Amino acid sequence: MKKITSVLLASALLGAALAGCGGNNNSGNSGSAAATNSGSSANSGGSGKTPKVGVAIYKFDDTFMTGVRNAIQDSAKGIAEVDIVDSQNSQPTQNDKVDLFITKKYNGMLINPVDRTAAGVIIDKAKAANTPVVFLNREPLPEDMKKWDKVYYVGAKAEESGTLEGQLVVDYWKAHPEADKNKDGVLQYVMLKGEPGHQDAELRTKYSIQAIEDAGIKVEKLAEDTAMWDRVKGQEKMAAFLGSHSDKIEAVLANNDDMALGAIEALKAAGYFSGDKFMPVVGVDATAPAVQALEEGTMLGTVLNDAKSQGKAAITLAALLAGGETPTKDNVGFDISDNQYVWISYKKITKDNASEVK
Amino acid sequence: MNAKKAQSFITQNAIYLVLVVLILGIAIYEPSFMSVNTLRDILIQSSTRVIIALGVAFILITAGTDLSAGRVVGLTAVISASMLQIPDYSRRFFPDLPQMWLIIPIVIAILAGLLCGLINGLIVSKLNVPPFIATLGTMVMVYGINSLYFDMKPNQSQPIGGLRPDFTNIGSGFIGKGQYSIPYIVIIAIVVALIVWVVFNKTKLGKNMYAIGGNMQAAKVSGINVSKNLIYLYAIAGALYGLAGVLEAARTGGATNNYGNMYELDAIAACVVGGVSTTGGIGTVPGVLVGVVIFTLINYGLTFIGVSPYWQLIIKGLIIVAAVAFDMRKYSAKK
Repeated sequence: MKKITSVLLASALLGAALAGCGGNNNSGNSGSAAATNSGSSANSGGSGKTPKVGVAIYKFDDTFMTGVRNAIQDSAKGIAEVDIVDSQNSQPTQNDKVDLFITKKYNGMLINPVDRTAAGVIIDKAKAANTPVVFLNREPLPEDMKKWDKVYYVGAKAEESGTLEGQLVVDYWKAHPEADKNKDGVLQYVMLKGEPGHQDAELRTKYSIQAIEDAGIKVEKLAEDTAMWDRVKGQEKMAAFLGSHSDKIEAVLANNDDMALGAIEALKAAGYFSGDKFMPVVGVDATAPAVQALEEGTMLGTVLNDAKSQGKAAITLAALLAGGETPTKDNVGFDISDNQYVWISYKKITKDNASEVK
Repeated sequence: MNAKKAQSFITQNAIYLVLVVLILGIAIYEPSFMSVNTLRDILIQSSTRVIIALGVAFILITAGTDLSAGRVVGLTAVISASMLQIPDYSRRFFPDLPQMWLIIPIVIAILAGLLCGLINGLIVSKLNVPPFIATLGTMVMVYGINSLYFDMKPNQSQPIGGLRPDFTNIGSGFIGKGQYSIPYIVIIAIVVALIVWVVFNKTKLGKNMYAIGGNMQAAKVSGINVSKNLIYLYAIAGALYGLAGVLEAARTGGATNNYGNMYELDAIAACVVGGVSTTGGIGTVPGVLVGVVIFTLINYGLTFIGVSPYWQLIIKGLIIVAAVAFDMRKYSAKK
């Protein structure tokens, strides 16, 4: 008898879990993938008006992409029924999700690739199923984009973020002669890079320094290392840089805000940002914690990668394509270049205009 | 008496019941789930996982464990992809590598997997390092080696793309036409499962494997060369991960050093749910297959009906715990 009870108990546990998740669908939890999907079950015939768009994000716990994801969800209202899924930073998982979208006969797909080179296979699948696809944030290779005319890309030009980041440092250097701590006329900097090989990481690293050099300032790289976009690693690497170069460092450039914020923590621990000990630290993304650091005066500047516009442009484009319409500047609300690309521009953010981001 | 019979039926067939309950639950919620296309998707998505899980099953049945599985998959995915790019691709891993028979890079990748397994086996049997620690060590090392290879000039950690169509066709092609076609990758998984079934049930190596896992001392005393058998078993497991890595690269048309990350845990979970005992000596090929399909069903089916990914994780965890609880019950009932 006891045995039967425990068997039943375990079964009930499973049943409860299954039932529990069903209920969750209706709670409108903003992070939930299924928030707008609950009504779609088994009534494909009844929802002829708004097209269904499958959205695959490369990873749900990425701060920036979460901003884009929320913008997609908000902007989808009234124009498309979206089903947003997590690719768990794994391309095979994402391909599985794409197969699922196609099997479910969605009218369009919006894909934020895990790995940009994998877009080719996704485009082949989309073309075979005649399901238009919009890529977001990670640009497929040009030869893949040429495979089909119902493939679009929405994103920012990564080099622009680097250029603007470099200009932030230039502005500070020119306005503050004391920034040249050893008075040698050369800017000694350290660089915190994102994931090696990531397009944004490589381009931001290159173009930020190029922008400084273009402004006529000589630079010397003291150290460069990858902190994998990560705040904790940014802090660890910066602590190591401070250990080896201490007072020689005159500027810190990070490929994103999380790493810049990590660097700021390491600098604080080394006595910076109290009294007149300052270090210009710049990042990219204008995340909420970064904006707070700008207001506190610990972070010099950041570059806004416009998540709202990216999400809005991407879902608008995907919805139009899914509805069988031809996207134009008028119906998308953003310029379309080369018939397949929508570029969202970056913005410089400092203490002065930090309130705009909030 | 009847109640007792019913109870023993439930404990003996718990995993099949879970499978049926899951399918019914999803199908009731979303009737369009019951289609040939979803069945195909589930089989395709189970294919590489089955191969990895069968590899892990070899080790679990010897009362060991293998944490290096996922990273070996990543290594072999990168190795095969690096040698199978189209000739006019702009960023080739080996710019001057001539085109070769498809089978050569595939065999090299599988051998690389086998070598990793062989090293695991040597560490476990000759150095007497517990399998958990031995394979933890190789897991980290294999990732390091893979990252070094992946970072070589001129590739420098760029994702490897532009794979040859004859290679990607293994991952995405199929025999037959339309709905009732059978993907190659599913056929490969079935063939591998059959071979593994034969090894488990019809060979001396298989019998030794169960004996070692059941009671290593007894196996030694009865004249089984435990360390030689362990080395073979780890090497076979490694070769299976190698094959899975090749198929992952073919299926996605690319590879990075991050491929396969955490696959070992999915594989171990699938084995456990499929009735492979973590204390060794127990486990069957059909059990592992059902275990894998249950997890694919959770991944695919729950996404299909729009369950939040966070809830999917909770359900996965509950199924793992419940499966082992059932398993323990079965075990203690026998005692």
